[in-house]
Amino acid sequence: MAWAKQGHDAAFRELVRRYERPLFSLLYRMVRDRALAEDLAQETFIKVLNGIKSYRPEFKFSSWIFKIANNAAIDHLRRKSIDTLSLDGAPNAETSEQMRATQLQVGDRAESPLAEVENRELGTAIERAIARLRPEYRSCILLRHVEGFSYEEIAATLELPLGTVKTYIHRARNELRGYLEERRE
Amino acid sequence: MTDLAMHLTTEEIELWAQGLLPATRALHLADCSLCRVEAERERKVILELVQLPQFAPRAGFADRVMAQVQVFTL
Repeated sequence: MAWAKQGHDAAFRELVRRYERPLFSLLYRMVRDRALAEDLAQETFIKVLNGIKSYRPEFKFSSWIFKIANNAAIDHLRRKSIDTLSLDGAPNAETSEQMRATQLQVGDRAESPLAEVENRELGTAIERAIARLRPEYRSCILLRHVEGFSYEEIAATLELPLGTVKTYIHRARNELRGYLEERRE
Repeated sequence: MTDLAMHLTTEEIELWAQGLLPATRALHLADCSLCRVEAERERKVILELVQLPQFAPRAGFADRVMAQVQVFTL
């Protein structure tokens, strides 16, 4: 980190090498679009590396970089209102017609090779269940069980009270269980 | 209520699913079908989550990032 703070090319590359996969994976699962996730990951690294001098070592570097990435994803989802859509349609859809109209069609973009990759990578039952979670729950559950963050680290990363993080993770797992069991029935 | 009689908390169930719950509390599962069912269901989800793969961006990602980063020396 000390070398990176001095702007050494090799140290910056090492940080990219170390975090590109976890960061990209989180963003990809958040926005479910490879190209967009890559843009957001790139934006995150540029922001972090160009602002490295403002990094405060009392915080974990991983918390700092994941916070910026997660904010980028949440901002994007809010802007595009994708968070109101789920694979089953908008949560406020009351009739089957409304649900169909607001449904995310996984196969809609099947024409492009990239969409085929996305369908393959994010088409499993657990990935589809994660996609149905609220973005806040999604971030928490991914940081906890995919990235192995502690509850305290998640609270620091997402700037949420510890109790809220625990509640979100508990609810997220309950919802995931429900979606997965519903599918098995 | 003794340690053995108390139902497991959500966090304890998570610890159990990861094999990290102290034996004194894990013993409760032998006697409590409620907690056992709950813990098994949690374990399944947690296992699915921890086995999720990591994805990689396209090749050349680091170069694309570095092209827009200001590298400086003191």
